[in-house]
Amino acid sequence: MNLGTRKILDRSFSAVGIGSIAVMGIALLIVIVPIVYNGLGAVFFTETIEHRNMLYNEFGKGDKAELDKENAAAGIYRKEAYSMLSRFEAEMETMEPVRQQEFRSKYGPVQTALRHLIGPLPGDEEAILTRYRYGQTRWEKAEEKLHELLYEAKWDYSDPNSMAKEYFVSRAAEFEGTSLVRLFPYVENNLDKMLQPRFTVYWGFLTDSSVDSHIFGGVWPEIQGTFFLAVGAMLFAFPLGVIAAIYFTEYARDGFFTSMLRSANSTLAGVPSIVFGLFGLAFFINTLKVSESKSVLAGSLTLAIMILPTIIRAAEEAILSVPKTYKEASLSLGSTKWNTIMTVILPAALPGILTGGVISLGRAAGETAPIIFTAAVSVGSAIGIADVLSSPTPALSWNIYNLASEHEAAAEIRHVQYGMVLALVSIVLLLNLSAILLRARISKKLKG
Amino acid sequence: MMKTMKNILLLALLSLVFSVPVHAAAGNTIVLDGSTTVGPLAKSFAAYFTKKYGVKVTVSESGSGNGAKSLINNTCDIASMSRAMKPQELEAARKKGVTLVQHIVALDGIAMVVHPGNPVRNLTKTQLRDIYSGRVTNWNQVGGPNAKIVVIQRESNSGTQEAFKELVMGKTAPISRTAETQASNGAIKNRIASTRSAIGFLGLGFVDRSVKPVAVNGILPSKATVKSGTYTVSRPLYFYTAGMPSGKLKTFIDLAGTPDGKRMISELGFIVR
Repeated sequence: MNLGTRKILDRSFSAVGIGSIAVMGIALLIVIVPIVYNGLGAVFFTETIEHRNMLYNEFGKGDKAELDKENAAAGIYRKEAYSMLSRFEAEMETMEPVRQQEFRSKYGPVQTALRHLIGPLPGDEEAILTRYRYGQTRWEKAEEKLHELLYEAKWDYSDPNSMAKEYFVSRAAEFEGTSLVRLFPYVENNLDKMLQPRFTVYWGFLTDSSVDSHIFGGVWPEIQGTFFLAVGAMLFAFPLGVIAAIYFTEYARDGFFTSMLRSANSTLAGVPSIVFGLFGLAFFINTLKVSESKSVLAGSLTLAIMILPTIIRAAEEAILSVPKTYKEASLSLGSTKWNTIMTVILPAALPGILTGGVISLGRAAGETAPIIFTAAVSVGSAIGIADVLSSPTPALSWNIYNLASEHEAAAEIRHVQYGMVLALVSIVLLLNLSAILLRARISKKLKG
Repeated sequence: MMKTMKNILLLALLSLVFSVPVHAAAGNTIVLDGSTTVGPLAKSFAAYFTKKYGVKVTVSESGSGNGAKSLINNTCDIASMSRAMKPQELEAARKKGVTLVQHIVALDGIAMVVHPGNPVRNLTKTQLRDIYSGRVTNWNQVGGPNAKIVVIQRESNSGTQEAFKELVMGKTAPISRTAETQASNGAIKNRIASTRSAIGFLGLGFVDRSVKPVAVNGILPSKATVKSGTYTVSRPLYFYTAGMPSGKLKTFIDLAGTPDGKRMISELGFIVR
């Protein structure tokens, strides 16, 4: 091959290499940026007075005197809106029946939209579900709801041969000629005074329990559940994995049996996680009956089996990479095999073993499928350490799925879902980061 | 160096473990498993019950079929179901020596929903059967625009699916194999809100502005029409227990009959029986 072609080949190879790294970087950005941006929105956002009221009533947070003052200030403007409603209600009574009927059917949606915006109207029966007791707690959501109050979405069915298109009709125009017409510009111009928006940092998202199935409040039970499950899985899998790796590298003789074991281990690493989930249900819960229902224990055991192959592989590699001379030197000084393993080989292999362990820990924290049938519930309070043997727990991975697909108000609480995703990604990232630090620390110490 | 780090790690771990409040002894919980349709109700009951009686209640939404299995295998206390137990399930329970007791919590309509842009307002049960069995494949055959119908059903584990088959399809017509399957009420709602020519079915409590319910045999689904029985695609929602419930379990089941329970049912869009 002449020099020219070699150069071209070389250059094009570097171009492809740089290109694929760039693609990876862009993909990462596309995935990570919305997660971080929207996820931070669960903690950093512009809250309304409804949020402060909710925090005070549900969690006892906030300053009562300050809150009363703000409620009074907001109340002045709300009262004006309420009086517009009652004036219109009185006006409707005087209308002739047909016209009254027509306006009544239009008035209902206005009331509903206003309730969504600033909470229950005077004269409403107090709702038993917390979600109906407050208006919009987030300012950006309030602006969306304002649009729903001001405009009615209609569908143009005039062309029977095609699907209809959506269009918006101003509600003010619909109430032309009545006293209610003034309500719409009034609410539009004074919404900030009715809701008293203020930028806030809601750390409670990480430390509070959820209120009314995640519609308000935070995700502490999920974070804690994830922590318990991942740590529980490590408690089972890590010692077992390391012992198995020692057996494979130091004790097992090469032969049919060992190679079978090794390939079994590799196969296990490739089994889809849902299979582990079903196995966990069938074996740990229905056969062994480790707990009466789904539980953290059953979930941890299932996750442990899932991450075991990875831990074994990592530990095996780490042990094999310890220079043979260490072992030979130790044995030649009269040390026993067991003693050599414990005092020479394992400490030297520790960084690699730990890295494998922590990466598996991250995987255990992020998996959904193995815990669906063995540990995860969609709603439950934070459990104490005493309950891990018998209680199921909410967990981040499962609840993200639940909020995305099954929750009845999924579209209203996207911020909670993003917040959970960011929390999970951060936990996994932190675990991996600590693995890197730990490894560097130990390597440095070993080098003396 | 190593030692101090170990200590710090240990301390961090211990403090994490003990900062967690330890309440409620093991066993003092109620475990619910089952339907995603009953999910909102179960979750609200759970939150209310925990607040009022201090008993922890956990809720899983894995589908009616799984709820039934869990109850028969004795891994949950209450199976929340959007259909009645099937003969096979009753048989399986009998073999295990479990007596299943049925409690009706609320009524629920199964709303047939389409995209809000779809001009079709009314379908007869025969038309629905034709659409779901694949005999009718275009909206213009049932009075709509020229568009291919995207038929959406629930997974086989779903109680809503079973109820739909029983109430609409009858015994004769199987659902077409080209029908798309979605795994929860929320997923169906999302799919239909984003697909102009789709049709699917939802528990009445899940219907919101993003989808349009169509009338069945001229009757629109609503609390009033379901309660009066004029809207016929409706079914009761159940809590099943193994044996007659007692103690806190009974209090939980009886919630549905209390004034607060009835208000929760109605606020969530279900119908008080």
